[in-house]
Amino acid sequence: MSAEAVIQIRNLSKIYRDFWGRKKVRALNSLSLEVYRGEVFGLLGPNGSGKTTTMKLLLGLLFPTEGEISILGKSATDVSKNERIGYLPEESYLYRFLNANETLDFYGRLFNMSGETRRKRTEELIEMVGLQHARRRQLKEYSKGMTRRIGLAQALINDPDLVLLDEPTSGLDPQGSRDMKDLIMRLKSQGKTVIMSSHLLADVQDVCDRIAILYGGELKELGRVDELLKERNVSQMQTSSISDACLDEVKAVLAKHNVEFHKVDHPTNSLEELFLKTVERSQQRPGQRYVPESEAAKGGTAS
Amino acid sequence: MLAISLQPEEFDLALGVQRWLIVFGTVLLVSLLVSLMASLATYGGTGPARLFGRLGYAACDFMSLSPRRIFAVALLTFREAVRRKALLVFVVFAVLFMFASWFLTGNSERPEQDIEVYVGFVFTTISWLVLLVGGVLSCFGLPEDIRLRSLHTVVTKPVRRNEIVLGRMLGFGSVCTLILVLMGIVGQIWIVRQSQGLTLSCRVPIYGVLKFLDRTGAETSKGLNVGDIVETRGFIEGGTKGAAVFQFRLPKSQPELLRFESRFEAFRTHKGSMDRTIQARYVLSNEEKGLRVPLEKFNVAEFSQNERDVERKISYTNEKTLKKEEVDLYNDLAQDGWLTVHVQCLDRGQYLGASRGDFFVRELPDRSFSAGYWKAMVGVWLMVVLLVMIAVTASCFVKGPVACLLCFCVFVLGQPAHDFMDKLVTGKQVGGGATESLYRLVSQANQTTPLDNQMMERTLKTIDRLPSGSLWIAKHLIPDMRTFSMAAWVGKGLDVPWYSAMLPSLAVALGYILPCVLLGYFSLSLRELESK
Ligand SMILES: Nc1ncnc2c1ncn2[C@@H]1O[C@H](COP(=O)(O)OP(=O)(O)OP(=O)(O)O)[C@@H](O)[C@H]1O
Ligand SMILES: [Mg+2]
Repeated sequence: MSAEAVIQIRNLSKIYRDFWGRKKVRALNSLSLEVYRGEVFGLLGPNGSGKTTTMKLLLGLLFPTEGEISILGKSATDVSKNERIGYLPEESYLYRFLNANETLDFYGRLFNMSGETRRKRTEELIEMVGLQHARRRQLKEYSKGMTRRIGLAQALINDPDLVLLDEPTSGLDPQGSRDMKDLIMRLKSQGKTVIMSSHLLADVQDVCDRIAILYGGELKELGRVDELLKERNVSQMQTSSISDACLDEVKAVLAKHNVEFHKVDHPTNSLEELFLKTVERSQQRPGQRYVPESEAAKGGTAS
Repeated sequence: MLAISLQPEEFDLALGVQRWLIVFGTVLLVSLLVSLMASLATYGGTGPARLFGRLGYAACDFMSLSPRRIFAVALLTFREAVRRKALLVFVVFAVLFMFASWFLTGNSERPEQDIEVYVGFVFTTISWLVLLVGGVLSCFGLPEDIRLRSLHTVVTKPVRRNEIVLGRMLGFGSVCTLILVLMGIVGQIWIVRQSQGLTLSCRVPIYGVLKFLDRTGAETSKGLNVGDIVETRGFIEGGTKGAAVFQFRLPKSQPELLRFESRFEAFRTHKGSMDRTIQARYVLSNEEKGLRVPLEKFNVAEFSQNERDVERKISYTNEKTLKKEEVDLYNDLAQDGWLTVHVQCLDRGQYLGASRGDFFVRELPDRSFSAGYWKAMVGVWLMVVLLVMIAVTASCFVKGPVACLLCFCVFVLGQPAHDFMDKLVTGKQVGGGATESLYRLVSQANQTTPLDNQMMERTLKTIDRLPSGSLWIAKHLIPDMRTFSMAAWVGKGLDVPWYSAMLPSLAVALGYILPCVLLGYFSLSLRELESK
């Protein structure tokens, strides 16, 4: 792809160790992927598959055990990259004793914004996430969805180029998830790059351009959503409505080519089917990994 | 009142800075070497390059500190403390004082002593409460932030780790300042109310330089020892040429009236006359001009102080010509602004003990009690600031309870350790250092007797000197908390002197800023912010 890679991950592994340095969990295993400018990228995987770990590694909150990360052309531990990044954590880890205004003001200050800009931005964002009525209440009084909303607002305070959303729709009501999806599409239309992880496959299917499916810390699937959902060895026919009598003749008719074809297509699965199938396959054949074609050609590292 | 005077020890700033540089430099060098080894061990040949890259990155972080971000973290910290009701200790404090008034009522026979008790009580209570609150708050601040992961949202903003450390220190520092000021005001009101009818004073002492003349009038650095174990005072023999010579720098403002205040100790070899105590006198002198101006003799008050006003114009009887003459304190007697005063004991066979703190010139008029009181509060404040710095630094690499323990060790157990290390470093510890002690233990030799084998002893002492260098460093790493206690001055109705009390505390507190921020920065940058 000719587009510019905003994030490059090479052979990333992460082993969580306990205080004494003993191995606890291998959370990521040789993960390689790239995310391009302007796309919405989805990270999928069952619980504990390493989605959050990947995000934290990207942000420099965790240090990789092996492998390299380049994000916005910088290393993950370089703080200056954060100027252009917005991050919505898995749960909104905010200061519960601040109210919405103070929260946004605080994070605004961390971006060295002037008082004027901060006020303006706070105003816009609070309106955008629909918390006008609760702006002076401390966050400890907020419901989960409200906390999620203020978390989102804080992630967007700097008008970032790259947004990392860890399960953005969790805890939101239907209207809230709808708004969230609209927002993601809006961000995309503004040319921003969005990485999100989610369990809600319908959401992912709606908004993501490309997805990666992780299982047990390994990359199992990677590609464009529409490509991945295509079944290549089955064909689907769409015809004008035909009678029952006609139906019997179809096989014969097929050979004779005398039916008017409206459309011939590969049928698409729902993402849910794909996801479940990937997980099932991974369970049956552990150790099989997704290998990009380019690497596979080079005789890559598939085990 | 006991004849104990406060002993002012002038702080040598240049020496302090020099020592700081040695200690800081050594520790820095050692940590650099260790990191270099570690980097070589983990990354092999590319290790040093990585290390220096990281250090360059750190330098950038320090160059691009943003006041706004630091302030943001400080404000957050302040809000957190206030909203978590840290100020409640203030209520505890007020209650303590209400009860204290019941028990701490003066006996009014020794009014100065009552004041000393009140002042001591106020300062002890305030120090402990503020230290407790400040310590707990700052020890648990960052670890809680890491545990609750709220720090994740913060460090994914462009805030530098050193800004977090500095902001935290500033925030907790201001919380403590607020609490301290509030308590200080209440404390002052309480003292003033408690000591109704008594005079609260803040005398401004000018301390002199002390040397001694022996019985023949020759100069010696020490006076006689009359058998005290702790040799704070030097004694002079009565009825001889022996004298304690004090030299004072007179105030530039040349006030019309000075007051000599002294509190000497008498040591009797015979009963003397029953109706009076030992007699002494001051002799003002200017050797250059050959002037000797004796003031009238006085009875040495042994349980309170001798006070004598000295006016600018002094009339006296010249000892040689026996004529009445008049001299001017500043124009005739002072020598480059220094006044020399000889103290002589007049009773033959009796002794008079003097130390530097025993005799001072009091600048009139006095300052207000508040001046001294709040200066001593600044001392408490500096101590709290130091604690906050150490606590925040500790909390960057260990969890809250461990950080608390660490602070406790530094602040409470650090003092006895300080004294012990003092002795080891200066070689005064009986029985020697570790190796020598071990040898004595094995060879069943007494701790105090010199070893038979001279050669052996010398070798052992040399071996022990090696770690004593690092011990010297270690000793200087632990702050000496005694520097910060200035309540004694206030209690005794004295102003807190700049050179021997304020300056050293300020210097100690300042000396910890850079090392603490550096240590905090690196520990926060090099660890994963994930609670284990
Ligand atoms: N701090 C930690 N210490 C030890 N192990 C951890 C830690 N954080 C995560 N893990 C482990 O790493 C693995 C991946 O966890 P991660 O949080 O990345 O999963 P996830 O895909 O985000 O799951 P979920 O969908 O539940 O959010 C899990 O096995 C988890 O137990
Ligand atoms: Mg997760």
